[in-house]
Amino acid sequence: MTDKRIINILIVICILFMSLIGYLTYLELFEAEELAKSPYNQRQWAYEEDIERGMILDKEGVILAQSKDGERTYPYDNMYSHIIGYNSRIYGKSLLESKYNQLLLGQYGLGGLNITGNKKKGYNLYLTIDHNLQKVAYNSIGNRNGSAVAINPKTGEILAMVSKPDFNPNTLSEQWESLVDNENSPLLPRATSGLYAPGSTFKILTSSAALDLNLQDMVFEDKGSIEIGGKTVSNSGSKAYGNITFDRAFQLSSNVAFCSLGVTAGFDKLKSTAENFGFNKEPDYDFPVAKSIFPLSAKEDAEIAALAMGQGNTLATPLQMALVACAVANDGVIMEPRLVSHATNNSGVTILATKPKQQSVAMSKENADYITDMMVKTVTQGTGTSAMINGITVAGKTGTAENEQTVMQKNKEHTWFVAFAPAEDPEIAVAVMLEYSGGSGASVCGPIVRNIIREYLR
Amino acid sequence: MKALKKPIILLLITTVMAFALLFFYRTPMDVNILYIGGSVMLISAITYFAIVYFKLGDEYLFLIVSMLVVLGTLMLCRINYTYGIKQILWYLISVSAFYLSFFIYKYVKMLNKMGTFYFILGVILFIATLLFGTRSGGAKNWIRAGILSVQPSEFIKLLYIFFLASYFSGKRDKLVFGKIKEKYAILFCVYMYLGFLVLQREWGIAVLFFVIYIAMEYIFEHDLMLILCNFLLAGLGGGVGYLTMYHIQVRVATWLNPWADVSKTGYQIAQSLFAISSGGFFGSGLGLGKPEYIPAVHTDFIFSAICEELGLFGGVAIILLFFIFTYRGAKISLKLPEGFDKCIAAGITVMFGIQTFIILGGVIKLIPLTGITLPFISYGGSSLLSSFIALGVLQALSGREVEK
Repeated sequence: MTDKRIINILIVICILFMSLIGYLTYLELFEAEELAKSPYNQRQWAYEEDIERGMILDKEGVILAQSKDGERTYPYDNMYSHIIGYNSRIYGKSLLESKYNQLLLGQYGLGGLNITGNKKKGYNLYLTIDHNLQKVAYNSIGNRNGSAVAINPKTGEILAMVSKPDFNPNTLSEQWESLVDNENSPLLPRATSGLYAPGSTFKILTSSAALDLNLQDMVFEDKGSIEIGGKTVSNSGSKAYGNITFDRAFQLSSNVAFCSLGVTAGFDKLKSTAENFGFNKEPDYDFPVAKSIFPLSAKEDAEIAALAMGQGNTLATPLQMALVACAVANDGVIMEPRLVSHATNNSGVTILATKPKQQSVAMSKENADYITDMMVKTVTQGTGTSAMINGITVAGKTGTAENEQTVMQKNKEHTWFVAFAPAEDPEIAVAVMLEYSGGSGASVCGPIVRNIIREYLR
Repeated sequence: MKALKKPIILLLITTVMAFALLFFYRTPMDVNILYIGGSVMLISAITYFAIVYFKLGDEYLFLIVSMLVVLGTLMLCRINYTYGIKQILWYLISVSAFYLSFFIYKYVKMLNKMGTFYFILGVILFIATLLFGTRSGGAKNWIRAGILSVQPSEFIKLLYIFFLASYFSGKRDKLVFGKIKEKYAILFCVYMYLGFLVLQREWGIAVLFFVIYIAMEYIFEHDLMLILCNFLLAGLGGGVGYLTMYHIQVRVATWLNPWADVSKTGYQIAQSLFAISSGGFFGSGLGLGKPEYIPAVHTDFIFSAICEELGLFGGVAIILLFFIFTYRGAKISLKLPEGFDKCIAAGITVMFGIQTFIILGGVIKLIPLTGITLPFISYGGSSLLSSFIALGVLQALSGREVEK
């Protein structure tokens, strides 16, 4: 009898030991990743010190970030702060430095075998960015607050992306306090996380909705202002255009016409169109992007009219409006935007390469062609003439958006310009936004768009 | 090729490789490491051949333990070189104690009649600890005598098993003081020990003592009602302890969520988890991890260091070695006829098995952490010495089974 009970006890001990092994395995399989990332885990930094963090380069191989003796340096100071982010022992990591941390560390992760005793080298990250273009975009915006995004509409590759104000990741610790306190929020990457009323650039979407409903033959009686639902909407500068067609209304950015158009199309049509373009969808890209918002409900005609011309509660990131231009340029198809082109190991062997990927179909090819035509005319004979370039057909749309500050004082509008070129076979789509700049999209943003397109198609 | 199949060869190869690795890893290279490795190897080999040649019983027990000691000293040398050297010295002393206890147990015939003596000696050691003990890491469990530090509870553990074995192999029908049944008197003694351990805040050993008693009661007396009452009593005691004692609350709280106070009470277990998880399946490799981040890594947390540098597979290997050891122990107990020897073998086996589970479960956060050493691996003379004494007894018992 005692022998049987000794065996029972042995079985109990055996079960206890198996539970140890089971729990250990569970730890390694399901908890290890979380534990490795814990901010209390000193290993993170200790291991990183053993690895020379990989470089970040533009698509041609211009070095944008590199590590030497554990020090991370950014040769172009502020220029890439809102793309690459920072890598600081004190303040942590942000943007690409954070998103691609494992890759930059050579995916050794924690652990791994070091046989040679040499310092391990991380993988190098090649971006889709064109350094020359980035430089032009960066300098064109200058000291103004705003953003410029340039994308290859056929592949989704982001060619340049500027957000201002910015900061210098090389001197983060010296200026951290002032960066955090600064009311201009220099740490906010405006291109991807800034949300603004899109203004008249949204009329591209309203047009697509109207074309779906065959409203292109409507003629509008434009007296410079119109009363909808008890509220008066005026054109920019209260200009009266008389009897105008849909095409002409687009080129001149007639608010009167687009308000009627929006009300005729109806809220549901506007909303579904906006959502086809990516509004109200949480972006899932290889870099963090805020969700652009189109209101979920609107009852009054006045509200719908405001939405049709890009006002009301619609909010979009500059990246989102660049994607709108991409949709028109690429026959209605939006390609998923990408910042990373590929990654190589230290011997130059590619270990990761991103591929063009379709994000969504925003509209039909017919709509895209129709709107392209209207956008080309906007630049040749409408509001966007400031973006005209000799020998290149530019298609564009301006925008001037009212915001919380324009209620109090004039000349604080956000100004917009979205464009792509060459219109026959688009290679680049651009969105430029300057916040609280006043003026018009054409006068303020037009020249920046022109600089960017000219540089890229040079 | 046939020679390679002998487990001693595996042990020797492991030892050679481990210490060679350590030798080349350390810069500047230190020849002493080779001497240390060599002496560990020599001691293991001589003892093993003595056991085989003189037919001193089970030849695997000592092999398993040698493997554990090699891994332990290797890890200690890597964590702290001086600890490693001291541990080797203790290993030398412990192996002598192993021989000593082996022969004492083999030739002294009255060990089963000294139950009262074991009990009283245990009580004396407890009182001495309370009077002269120094506090270390929350528990008051060390007695300093000159350069030596002794942890009496490690030895009381053995006395306790001998005491219980004397009782369970005895007649068990006596009435103590004329009216109390002996089993209740024993129960009183057990709880007295537990009381001492609680006073010293040795929670881990208290749990161990309790489980040993329950296991032996289950095997040799099988009074299930009494066991049930004990569990109720222990549950009650634990509940009251939890409500009244801050230290127990902290331990339970850090077990449930070490992240709540990760900078203080949860620090140790958090560091242990970081170490274990960073090792992955194959470990960072010897000397390439950062086990020094864990406080008390050389004693209670040595298993976490092993998991970090030798990986999950290294850790599982240790667990399996302990399991084979427990299995051999149980087998020895099974082969012995009813009586004192059988009780001792079962008690020691349960002791090693449960102690291993308590500390390993603690450092991986499977159960609340209670400070207790990992037999044969943790740094510390008392622990190593008492473990080898127990091993000596087990060895002698395995020989008895052969004689039968």
